Amino acid sequence: MALNGDDEDFEWEPPSEAEMKVIQARRERQDKISKLMGDYLLKGYKMLGDCCDVCGTILLQDRQQKNYCVSCQELDSDIDKDNPALNAQAALSQVRERQLAAQSPVPSQTPELNGGPSSGQPSVSVPQPRPEHCEGAAAGGRALLPPPAVPPPPAAPSTTALAPTRPAVCPQNPALRPVLQEAEEAVLTKLRWATTQLQGAASLEASIQLCSLITSCANSLRSLKELKQLSIK
Amino acid sequence: MLPLEHLHLKHVLQTVGVLEAVILRSFGPEGGQVLFTRDTGQAMLSRSGTRILRALHLEHPLARMVVECVLKHSTVTGDGSKTFILLLASLLREIHTAASKEPHVSYSYNSLEAAEAATARHLADKLLAFALKELDDLIAMEVASHGCYISWEDFTVETHSPAHTNNHVQKLFASFFHMRLGYVHCAFISELTCELLNHWKCIGALPSFALQFLKDNFPALHTPVSGFPVTSSRLVEGQVIHRDFATPCPQTDHQPVKAVVFTGYLQPRLLNTGDVLEVGCGVTEERSIVHFSAWTERSLKCIIAHLQSLGISVLLSAVKQSAAVLALATQAEMCFVECVSEDELSLFAQLSGATPISDCWRIEPEHIAKLTFCRPILLGAHRYENMPVFSLIYKATHLPTKNYLGIIYTSNLQTLVTDAKPCSLIICGPGEGQTDQYACAFQDAISMLLTTWEPMPETGTTVAKRTVQSNKCTSSYTHNLTDSSTCTSSNLHSLHKCVLQPGCVIPAGGTFEFLLNHALLKLSHSCSASNDTNIGIPVSRLLASALLSVPKQIYSHSPGQFLQTRTRHNTTPIQSEVFRQDLGLESVSCKYQLLLAVLQCVTSLLRVDTVLHTHTALHTQSLADASWESTEDEAED
Repeated sequence: MALNGDDEDFEWEPPSEAEMKVIQARRERQDKISKLMGDYLLKGYKMLGDCCDVCGTILLQDRQQKNYCVSCQELDSDIDKDNPALNAQAALSQVRERQLAAQSPVPSQTPELNGGPSSGQPSVSVPQPRPEHCEGAAAGGRALLPPPAVPPPPAAPSTTALAPTRPAVCPQNPALRPVLQEAEEAVLTKLRWATTQLQGAASLEASIQLCSLITSCANSLRSLKELKQLSIK
Repeated sequence: MLPLEHLHLKHVLQTVGVLEAVILRSFGPEGGQVLFTRDTGQAMLSRSGTRILRALHLEHPLARMVVECVLKHSTVTGDGSKTFILLLASLLREIHTAASKEPHVSYSYNSLEAAEAATARHLADKLLAFALKELDDLIAMEVASHGCYISWEDFTVETHSPAHTNNHVQKLFASFFHMRLGYVHCAFISELTCELLNHWKCIGALPSFALQFLKDNFPALHTPVSGFPVTSSRLVEGQVIHRDFATPCPQTDHQPVKAVVFTGYLQPRLLNTGDVLEVGCGVTEERSIVHFSAWTERSLKCIIAHLQSLGISVLLSAVKQSAAVLALATQAEMCFVECVSEDELSLFAQLSGATPISDCWRIEPEHIAKLTFCRPILLGAHRYENMPVFSLIYKATHLPTKNYLGIIYTSNLQTLVTDAKPCSLIICGPGEGQTDQYACAFQDAISMLLTTWEPMPETGTTVAKRTVQSNKCTSSYTHNLTDSSTCTSSNLHSLHKCVLQPGCVIPAGGTFEFLLNHALLKLSHSCSASNDTNIGIPVSRLLASALLSVPKQIYSHSPGQFLQTRTRHNTTPIQSEVFRQDLGLESVSCKYQLLLAVLQCVTSLLRVDTVLHTHTALHTQSLADASWESTEDEAED
């Protein structure tokens, strides 16, 4: 078996930084799995000769003859966190990416966005998945529902877009008031919902997201109030 | 169709990684102990790698293979089971990294994994070949030059002047026992071991003969006594036979005491079970069973009288004799010991020169052993007033007594050198588990010393290598003058010190790994400088980086110290004052054997392709029957 050097079709290049991170994360995960398995072996579990069907880790068996897979049942999954159908975070990051991509060619639509920058209704022409979709999907995969943080990110770019277009808003004052009212009501209902969710939230992530939602609701309310005052003037 | 499972490199890595995680926390001088508990409530603390690995429940075939390799290695060298697993894991990781960088593309494989596996196999084979051919030279040149040699004469000096000669051996034992048993008693135990070796050293011309003798006969040469502090362990003169007298032992003032070893029954077995004895069918006289038994008793009396006439007063028997024999022996004032184990009998035979006999009528002088004394010895105590007059003993506690027989020999050692003073080791420990551990530690220490003293086998490859090296040097002389100077000097070195002398020790604490790492990196640099293709480069570098995992783990609590020690080893050669430091010593040949064993294990692990799961009928049924069996046991208890 001679090692010949003619591997032109496969040139090894050093991994890029992203790949390095993935490799590092995978290695750390493997180390964690090994350590957990070692601890279980010392507790008296038996190491079987079979592997888990899902993840390929070696199975352990406890005294009651029950099989146990360390990575499936204890550690969070490696790839599940990137699947938008199972993880709301992944879904939200996908939404954000799409919005950022869509907002750059559509700056002229921001005046129409003023009416409902932080509304839960998708009354904008930017195609974005309804937050309820995200919620539903998340409910299928996880027990806790982190609330959709979709409203805050569009609120941020649209509030910055709001400022320069404010002078253009003034002529539409009388038509704005009911819209503003609706928007305020919607934000308030969302705020109320977020508060009730926060009281019942058990995980750190959900609480953080709920707090950020409340912050952005408050910001939207403030900007709505400013708008109202401007429109009154 | 039997279920097939294709093994990938990651399975191997995971299995070995799990075993590594198990032993990692007990590794090194700072390592912790594992507490073993049984369902019966027994608990034991241990740091021994073999004990930990043996206690794991493993059904995975690769894991069992690895544990078996470790156990076999540990039986030979007595040490290094945790280091084995560490080195194995780091080597596999290095091979995996190297294989994923350049998988074999000269053959077509089904998948990238198969290509990786083939490369890994190839690398492992290359590593093993490299280790078998070049590693001993490298060690002899680079590592052993920093060590010192312990000699057999270190034991000949009496222990009342332990100033500097006994030091190295004692230090070697002290660091071994420190790792195995803990800091508290390591000095005491190492002194005891040196004393034991002192007594037994004259038993053969070569040191390895005495050590092998000790190692083989260790079960018969030691007595574990639980319930005493460790510091009550001592040496007693003579051999201790672990059986009590079946007949009361009278005082014998005249010497030498004569003893015979019987392997059969003294009372002839005339009747077997199922035989029918017809008594009283003779025509002339009335015979009854009483007459028959009287006749058998008379024949026994003749036997005993015959033994008495030969002057034999001690009888050692391998089997249980009948009550009649014991009664007659008591009458004749002969000491009888029954059911002596085989190894003790063989040791007795070796030391006394008397061969065992089965037929008492054919006793020749060569079957009679001459002893200096023979007396009972009380180990593990009893109440003071019940102690026999001639026992040697020990503090009274409330533990059950074991009456033993102590024998000492005159210098009638025909097969062995006569200056040996046979002595036996009494090992005390607080509990049974601890005592057992100490006994195992003793045995492993003797194995380790034996490995240290074994000369390295000089194979044909080393001789061939010398000629190849000289050719290489002459060719590279014309190319590069600077390289040639190192080449010729190394050539000279190789001619003088090609074989690692037995008995080499170096300071412990990762020194061997640092030095070898440095040497391997130097070798890979020099190989790349010459015109060699990349045959040697990845292999020696692989080995070098894998070796560093051991000192990294030793110094895991202080990475700064790791870097410090590494730079110190790389820049300055070790001076002799290092030996005055409290680092302890370890044996070079044990380490070398460990490396070879690890590489062979790697090769065999990576050669496994597929796992076939076979379930026998017993296996599937055993799960159902297990509960039934356990209830039955409880009922019996």
